[in-house]
Order: sequence, then C-alpha cells, then structure tokens
Amino acid sequence: MSASPALRSQLSGRNPADESAPVRIAVKGLNFYYGQFHGLKNVDLNFHDRQVTALIGPSGCGKSTLLRTFNRIYSLYPEQRAEGQILLDGQNVLDPKIDLNELRSRIGMVFQKPTPFPMSIYDNVAFGLRLYEKLPKSELDGRVEDSLRKAALWEEVKDKLKQSGMGLSGGQQQRLCIARSVAQRPEVILFDEPTSALDPISTGRIEELIEQLRAEFTIVIVTHNMQQAARISQFTAFMYLGEVIEFGPTTKIFMNPEKRQTQDYITGRFG
Amino acid sequence: MDAMTPIPATQAGGSPVRASRVRPGRRVADRMLRIASLLATMVGAVVLGSILVMLIWKGVEGFSFALFTQPTPGPGSEGGGIANAILGSLILTVIGIAVATPVGVMAGTYLAEYGRGSRLADVIRFLNDILLSAPSILIGLFVYTLMVRPMGTYSGWAGGVALAIIATPVIVRTTEDMLRLVPGTLREAGAALGAPPSKVIMSVTWRAASAGIVTGIILALARIAGETAPLLFTALNNNSWFSPDLMGGVANLPVMIYQFALSPYGNWQGLAWAGALLITATILLLSIVARVFIRDQRAR
Repeated sequence: MSASPALRSQLSGRNPADESAPVRIAVKGLNFYYGQFHGLKNVDLNFHDRQVTALIGPSGCGKSTLLRTFNRIYSLYPEQRAEGQILLDGQNVLDPKIDLNELRSRIGMVFQKPTPFPMSIYDNVAFGLRLYEKLPKSELDGRVEDSLRKAALWEEVKDKLKQSGMGLSGGQQQRLCIARSVAQRPEVILFDEPTSALDPISTGRIEELIEQLRAEFTIVIVTHNMQQAARISQFTAFMYLGEVIEFGPTTKIFMNPEKRQTQDYITGRFG
Repeated sequence: MDAMTPIPATQAGGSPVRASRVRPGRRVADRMLRIASLLATMVGAVVLGSILVMLIWKGVEGFSFALFTQPTPGPGSEGGGIANAILGSLILTVIGIAVATPVGVMAGTYLAEYGRGSRLADVIRFLNDILLSAPSILIGLFVYTLMVRPMGTYSGWAGGVALAIIATPVIVRTTEDMLRLVPGTLREAGAALGAPPSKVIMSVTWRAASAGIVTGIILALARIAGETAPLLFTALNNNSWFSPDLMGGVANLPVMIYQFALSPYGNWQGLAWAGALLITATILLLSIVARVFIRDQRAR
C-alpha cells in the first residue's frame, strides 16, 4: 500500500523535482546535541537550488533541529551544539570563524508563530535592510514595496505602511515576516511550520507564495502536514528519531518509498 | 460543634449537591473560612478607609492658594504654605529617578538578556531582591556616610542619590520580569535577520516590553515620592527657598510632614495634613497611570 488517494491527488504532476539542479546546501555527517541528548545522528543531505525541500516526520524527529542548524540560530542557547559540516555554496556554516550575522543575512527564516516586531509595517520590512545596507530613502522605499509585493501583501497594506505590524491578522503577519526575510535578498529561506498557526485560507496563500518564491530562492520547509509537503515541495526528506530515513523527489517518497518506516508514516500507521 | 445538624446543600454558592455526598464537617469548614477571610478583608478595608477619610477631612482643610505659593512658615508665625517642600520633593524625586532609570533598566536587561542562566546573574538577582526590601533608614545612613559626611553638608544631591538607591531595585526587577515576558521567538527572529544582540535588544525586545518597563519606572516613582527615612539623613529640610546648587538642606514633603506633624503649632499641623494628602493623591495618580500602562503591555 502506498499513499492514500487524498495524498496522491495532491501530488498529481505538479512541478517535478529537478534533480540536476545544483546543490545549494550540502549537509555532511551532521550531529546535534541538546546537552547530553543526541538530537541529530549523522545526517547527510543535499538541498537543491531553487527547489522546495520538505522535512517531514513525527514530532521530535529532529526536523526543526536540522532547519535551525543552517543559520546556527541554535547558538543563542549555550547548551546546544552541532558537529559536522553544512556547506552553503561550499562554505562551512559550522566553522567558528564564520561571521554569524553575515551568514544569517544570507539565510531567511520564517517561524511557526508570526513574529512581527513592535514597529510599523514599513520598519518591519526595512529592519533587515537597514542592518547591512545604507540605502537612500527612495531606494529603500522601492525595496520595501518590492518585498511586500513578493510576499503578496502590498495591496493590503500599501495605505497603512506607518501602522503597527502587530495590528495585522495572523496570516498577514506571517506574510509580513516573509517580506522581511525576502527584503534582505537571501539565498535560502527556511520555513519552520509556517502555517500551523494559521487558518486554511491563510495557509493556502502562504503555500502559493512559497511556490512563487521558489523561482528566486532555495527553500526548506518543516511541516507536520503531509498533504502540504505533497502540494508544495519537489524534494522530501523523511526523518525519524534524529536520522534521515529516506530522501528523494517528493513524488517518489509519497508514491514509491523504499523504506518500510517511510511507508508506515505516509500511510498514517504511526506518527 | 454539632456535626449532625443538617446544612442546606446550596449554601456554598454552587449548584445543589446531594447532601449525603459531602460530610457536614466540610460545610462548616467552608463557611468558617469564608467568614474569616471576609472579616480579614473588612479589617484591612476599614483601617485603610479610615486613614483615607481622616486624611481627606483634615487635609482638604489645609488646602489653599497659599499652600502652593508660599514657603513653609517659621515657628510661631501665621499662615504659610508648602511650595518650597513641593518643589524640593519634585527635584529630589526627579534626581532619584533620573539616576535609577538607566542603572535599573540596564541591570534588568543584563539579567534578562545577556546573563540568562549565568551564575553571576543569579547572584545579582539575589542581591537586588535583598536591596528591594532593605529598610530605607539604612539607605539614608549609607548615603549619609558616603556623601553627607565627606561633603560636610546635607544636600539635595545626597537626597536624590538615596532615593535612587531605593528606586533602582524596583526598576531592575520589573525590567527583568517584563523582558522575560517577550517571547523568545521574537529574539530568534531578530537574530535570524543577522541583527547583533545589541540591536535586537534595543530595537525589538525593549520596544516589545516598553509599556511594562515604563510601568516599573512609574511604580518606582510612586515608591520614592513618599519616602521619609532616607531623606532625614541626606536632604533634611529647609524652611526657605533653596539655593539653586542644591547644597545645604532641601525642603521636601515627607520630612516637612514629619517635622510639622510633631510641632505644637496649629498651622504647621494643618500644612502637614495638606502635604500628606498631596503625596497620597500623587501616589494614587501614579499607580493609576501604571495600571493603564501595564494593561497596554498585557494587551500586546
């Protein structure tokens, strides 16, 4: 038995995986520890340029942990550490000598709960831009507008850019956070369950958006929702207990998995 | 106690319960606790209420235009006001809060942001809690030894510093508590954009906690507005307008009340009542403002 008909219908012929796309992020022999707990075990994984890669698996399998190593956001917490290699365009992200802030400006991140800053919509989007680029006002305005357009939010907020970002709806806040990431022109955008706090309509808009963003950015998304992974990703990695069990084009993972555990998970036998 | 007396099942304010399932002893205990807590509340309210009534009754009597325009009268002279004490209190409080705010906010920020989980932060937090409940007369004596003795004179500066020492731990505590309420994901979002910690703190976490931090400052203001003990040894008092350099005694409301209330002169006693009412009203106003701010913070 393979994926359920409902799941299979989500797949049907959408944006096939481009296996010849260059590798943007190469994870090699990655181990991760929360104090004594071994959270990721010898992870090897490639993420292809301008493709959406979904990380799926049951709660606690390490998918968010893996995502959080790419920009080393885990290093905010002293008891967490990673060993191994994560090559972003050939440069090891885990190298202690790397400029963390510069690295993070090249990798966008969108969280489960929207995280607008307590400032105006405009300032939210311009926040990252002002950190590393000294742009004249007119150019800054252009970049903000451009980013809000890319996040499909411009039409809704163009008349209230000076209002607080906290006043927007949950779905709008999440798109604002996407615009904030996009504004920095990163190479990679990481999504950590970006729709699990949103209603179905907002979820649909975010999914459409991710599909559009794929034209410009390499995207990694952690999701609990297998139908979502089927709908928006080209590649899928199934993780379990800190290990990558199976990785491949999404259609293959869902239609024709090689590993027993993958099949059990996508058919809903556990997880 | 007659445990067999049947008690109506609905008396506890809840829905009717089958009497057989609840032991009568419990109902009695419930009733007694309710009566005891009600009595305790009433005692508190009556004491507070009578203080307020007395204060308003006696204080309003002393209110006049002269109260705000004339300095405190000399012994045996008629009339007079407390204008110098009002102005002096205002200046001492402003000095106190101006010194305490940067120190308190920065220290609270260290505890909540940079020092999270560190041993040093634990020690500082512990010491701060001790300072928070230190007897204020002790702080007055400390500043007396530190400033008044070496400088050879009571001064407004010493008074301001004493008040700052009392206000600082209040601000440290509230600043830390309010920053801890800011969700960690907001800090992560800032860091994920490549912002250094200082930038995240100044433009994101402080902003997110601003209403709460301001509340802490206002509460500290309310706390020091009525402090007497630390001023007895530092700013002392002065029956005339002070010189602009703040050296020598500076008139202030709490010490004025302390001295005038104990005096044999009727007009002095009246001014003490009026001053007490003025301070109480100010503290009440500050508390209300603080509550409005904290409600804003919670609403975010």
